[in-house]
Amino acid sequence: MPARPIIEIENLSHTYMKGTPMEHVALKGTNLYVEEGECIAIIGHTGSGKSTLIQHFNGLMRPESGKVIIDGEDLSQKKVNLKTLRQKVGLVFQNPEDQIFEKIIGDDIAYGPFKLGLPLKEVRERVKWAMEVVGLDFEEMKDRQTFALSGGQKRKVALAGILALKPKILVLDEPTAGLDPKSRKELLGKIKVLNKEEKLTVVFVSHNMEEVAMLADRVYVMADGTDVLSGTPKEIFTDKEKLQRHQIGTPETVKILYRLSDLGYKVKTDAFSIHEAAEEIMKVLAGTKEVSNYVK
Amino acid sequence: MSNEFEISRNITIGQYVPTGSFIHRLDPRIKLLSFVVLVLAIALNTSYLGNAVGLVLSLFLFWASKIPISYGLSGVKPAIPFIIILALLQLLFQGQLFSGGTVYVDYGFILITSESIRLVIVSAVRFIEIIFLSSVLTLSTSTTEMTHSIQSLLSPLKKIHFPVHEISLITTISIRFVPTFAIEMEKMMKAQASRGADFGTGGWWRIIQRTKEMFPIIIPLFNIALSRAEDLILAMESRCYTPGGDRTSYSVYKAAGKDYLILVVGLLFAVLLLFYPFPF
Repeated sequence: MPARPIIEIENLSHTYMKGTPMEHVALKGTNLYVEEGECIAIIGHTGSGKSTLIQHFNGLMRPESGKVIIDGEDLSQKKVNLKTLRQKVGLVFQNPEDQIFEKIIGDDIAYGPFKLGLPLKEVRERVKWAMEVVGLDFEEMKDRQTFALSGGQKRKVALAGILALKPKILVLDEPTAGLDPKSRKELLGKIKVLNKEEKLTVVFVSHNMEEVAMLADRVYVMADGTDVLSGTPKEIFTDKEKLQRHQIGTPETVKILYRLSDLGYKVKTDAFSIHEAAEEIMKVLAGTKEVSNYVK
Repeated sequence: MSNEFEISRNITIGQYVPTGSFIHRLDPRIKLLSFVVLVLAIALNTSYLGNAVGLVLSLFLFWASKIPISYGLSGVKPAIPFIIILALLQLLFQGQLFSGGTVYVDYGFILITSESIRLVIVSAVRFIEIIFLSSVLTLSTSTTEMTHSIQSLLSPLKKIHFPVHEISLITTISIRFVPTFAIEMEKMMKAQASRGADFGTGGWWRIIQRTKEMFPIIIPLFNIALSRAEDLILAMESRCYTPGGDRTSYSVYKAAGKDYLILVVGLLFAVLLLFYPFPF
């Protein structure tokens, strides 16, 4: 029997402020599925419904019409245990550092596990594990004051606060927005580790195409409240016509390769990982050298 | 399906519903003046019929401003517990002060008379009328219009060194940020709920527990408010805001004939409510 997708969204719609003059359709007929262990990116312009969509994953929003099935549980049913659902689906909001409220790092990360009613020893172990996964030294950092941290460290603390719930699925809304390049790179590395080594299913929203190209197994493109395109990064970033129709940006590497191919060089335009792209560019450079040598 | 976190929907203060109606286009100063006059008149009228007139008037204003009445009702909803508590207190403890009319109950300190029942009903209706009126005012007037008109109406007080501009600036900023913080609060509740927080569990009498449940929201909100305030200061200073400096206004109001007409109608209504001997 083929494994059932861990997240299944079928024909999901949502309207904000229904029945008021401020009515606003955020989602209409969205479909999406995520297999266990996948890393999925959701891209799309502001207001395309990405944030509304991911809030359906852990029951913060309940399906108005359509279906949301998480790990076999149908959320359109009235009786859903939201606590276990939210433990299973860890949702990291945009700028999650805002949600830190305890004075000391360890306490803040322990908030979720304590709320699950776990014994102290277990909580301590989870906090330790979560801090180490995000790259914070447990002994050194657990008793530090939260307000004195840098932006990147705060975000790590917030992420650890979610990971301490030991979710099966990790959902992140623009995880790297507003971070400096170093912290950004580090955080992306952590997400990769979580997906590949800790075997978490990851869904993330991003505006940064490099991130998408680097992390995602598959990409969903949202526009006007619905999924307009999906596929592997390779399929998405090489479909020039659709990229233009939906005004999707591409990683810098893709841009350079397209540029080169437009200028008449023979390059593989689907080689968008930095390494592959570099090789393609090297080939071109080598080629031109040969040509210029020939001319001499 | 209803949503447990949609707070911003329930906060109608500071919201503006642009329907472009006649009421929307009135001079905001006139609107504000008429509002004050009518609220005063309603607050002083103690007859059933008078308050019925007031209620009809406020409902009529919703119709005239093309704002759905559901907006007014959603403003009344959160006030219902207060109205009920107030009514109970008045019914049980204020009988001695309004002891006229027929006596229904006289038991110890509890005295319920037809007059005290009148007081209870009239104050509840009055409350609703005032909420309706203020909803129409705020829903049909943008916050900028509102503060400009407060500033303009208070400007004579400048002569006695009353800080008119500062006060109107403070009001503008605080009203402006009500919806912003409602959104922030919604986001914060969702974020903490995602970490397993729950709100409003346990009975209302477990005040300490319920207060503790709010810490994960209140503390971050304070942080956000402070950092927003800092941003705002920078934004204002970089646009050369100087406290106490003289400034001109982009929008200048000029009341026309219809505006004065409305003011006169408002005054007439107020006089009617105040001085007409309503039969009951």
